[in-house]
Amino acid sequence: MRSVTRTRRVLKWTGNVLLVVFLVWTLVPFYWMLVTSLKKDKEIYGFEATLVPRQPNLDAYRRLFAQTPFVKYLVNSTIIAVSTTAASLVLGCLGAYALARLRFPGRRLIARGLIFSYLVPPALLFIPLFTVMSTLNLIDTRHGLTLVYLSFTLPFCTWLLLGYFRSVPLELEEAALVDGCSRMSALVRIILPISLPALAVVAFFSFTQAWNEFLYANVFVNSVDVRTITTGLTLFVVEDVFFWGPMMGAACLATIPPVLIYLIFQRWVVKGLTLGAVKG
Amino acid sequence: MERTVTRRQVLKAAGVTAAAVTSPWWMVKSSHAQRAKKLVFWHLPNFTPLADELQKQQVYEFAKSAGLKDTDVEYSTVAGEQAMAKLTAGIEAGNPPDVIRLYESNVQFYAAGGHLLDLHDLVQRMRREPKGIFESSLTAVMYKGRAMGAPLAVNPWPVHARLDLLEQARLEYPKTWDEFIETSKKIQSPPRLFAFGMCLGLVEDTTDNVMNLLWCYGGKMVQADNKTVVMSSPENVAGMKVIEAMFKTHKIIPPGAISWDNSGNNKAYQSKQAAFIMNPTSVYAYLDGNDKDLQKVTGLFPVPAGPKGTVNQIDTWSYAAFKKTPYPELAKGLIDYLMQPANYDKIIQSTGGRWVPVYKRLFDSPFWKEKPAFKHFIQMAETGVPVSYAGAPTPAAGEVLNTHLIPKMVQRVLVDNWEPAKALDECHKRIADVYARYEKA
Repeated sequence: MRSVTRTRRVLKWTGNVLLVVFLVWTLVPFYWMLVTSLKKDKEIYGFEATLVPRQPNLDAYRRLFAQTPFVKYLVNSTIIAVSTTAASLVLGCLGAYALARLRFPGRRLIARGLIFSYLVPPALLFIPLFTVMSTLNLIDTRHGLTLVYLSFTLPFCTWLLLGYFRSVPLELEEAALVDGCSRMSALVRIILPISLPALAVVAFFSFTQAWNEFLYANVFVNSVDVRTITTGLTLFVVEDVFFWGPMMGAACLATIPPVLIYLIFQRWVVKGLTLGAVKG
Repeated sequence: MERTVTRRQVLKAAGVTAAAVTSPWWMVKSSHAQRAKKLVFWHLPNFTPLADELQKQQVYEFAKSAGLKDTDVEYSTVAGEQAMAKLTAGIEAGNPPDVIRLYESNVQFYAAGGHLLDLHDLVQRMRREPKGIFESSLTAVMYKGRAMGAPLAVNPWPVHARLDLLEQARLEYPKTWDEFIETSKKIQSPPRLFAFGMCLGLVEDTTDNVMNLLWCYGGKMVQADNKTVVMSSPENVAGMKVIEAMFKTHKIIPPGAISWDNSGNNKAYQSKQAAFIMNPTSVYAYLDGNDKDLQKVTGLFPVPAGPKGTVNQIDTWSYAAFKKTPYPELAKGLIDYLMQPANYDKIIQSTGGRWVPVYKRLFDSPFWKEKPAFKHFIQMAETGVPVSYAGAPTPAAGEVLNTHLIPKMVQRVLVDNWEPAKALDECHKRIADVYARYEKA
């Protein structure tokens, strides 16, 4: 009995130690970003790497807000990420519902195509997409970038929701239809409320993907008025000179919205990942 | 049940197939057509906000003088590292910018692809300015005897040297590489301060730093015919042995230098962990805005001499205009306007020494005469050579630089402990393959 207890205790402590190691592994880069943004250039380039800034100051942030269009980048990223999320949710729900419930030719092919299209790397797509975007006069526009982002968020979201909708008992919907609901009304009133965890995952996924995306934002956007945070960060590197303070400050601020979104949706995200994502 | 196909279905299918098959053609065509609206200038940031602002002003001034409205101009700031991916996509879609700034071998690369407008007449006009331009800058822009870009600036790669440390040790800046090693041993105090921040990582700066030293020992990468690779020459072996000795025997180069990126030597100097570095004046310009104390004790010198004398590196940035532009005359006119000495001088001076003028007479200005740090620039600009020396910065040379074949050779010697001759043989074969491939093409 005593040896079982001891084994459990050892396992528990081993688990805790591992957790602490992973926690440090995850948090140290963020901590380093934060302290670097609070240091002066001389300290950043100093011989000794200091874990705590000697003279913490907000110069990098002042420079960020006063001398760069960082706020513009922030606003653009927010508009584009929110629009992508909203469109992914609406279109993903409709697409997934159609694939899960309606019978039409090519349904299976489309469902498989979703995954294949998601797996095509952006580095292969950016040139043909540039041509399409140019033709449609969508280069250097926020709505153009949102449409491009849908090319990778929508297939994944639809596929994920498809799996989730299939797990919802058909009888619930049939009962609603018998009671006079239309297909759309059954989707909105019955299916979506019980799919909240999956919707939270889809929203979180779309938002973070759109927020962090770099390649398309770099290629399809030229002007400062449309530039997002990820591409704005590159302007803190001029040839072989890095302006670490403002860059780290911008990176710190850029991590806040996804973290907030995660904290808000955390409960549903975890549930959604364990329920919906494994069914397909 | 027998299924029949109607004529209408066949026609529909044929229509869809035809549209799908021809879509790349009409999409590219219409993509180019819809571009015909604005004069597009891609700006790569310079080192000072003032220089960036001045350039923007000048682009809009030109547009106004050409009868364009502000809304007819698209002025985009593109981060240097990311510009190539954008440009590739733009060219593929038939939609590149009208005017851009290109680095070294990129002018010849895009000229070879038939993408650039001929700027020969414009460059000839630049050459006819009083005192002319530094002819060394033309190697980057000349393609098949025609200037396909307008050289914007000559960038010397001086040795940045800590004058305070030399003074403390009562030493002069070394004249030869042998003296350099001896001086280095006296002024360094590792691990806090190593003498020579030589870049040795798998990056472009390593090729620049290493080749610069090899030239002083008579070495080269390729002959002036741009075909005969001479990497395994005895002169290169001699130079590589000096680098090996600096790293392994004299220990004047920090051990971490073998994993540096392009900013490694900058950081070493800016953090006062290296007394000497070979780099463009980006470091000096950075100090101007961020560490005046260090700038005051920084001297900029030609590289020390080897058995074959002193050879200094320069690199050249150039303006180029793309053939796809719907406004070829406006694009050329814009470059002409930016390169007019009066306009040009304002931008060059506002970079605080980062850009060295291509027009010789601009060196008469007090800006270049008053600071002792700039004393050697005119000679370096006059006699400097590109990293591809004795060849020109051709597309093949660009590939050698971008694929880090020379840094890989250096790592064979310093990390894998190969004999320099063996490592240079391997490198020679690889570089010869690259040049042979371009020769065939």
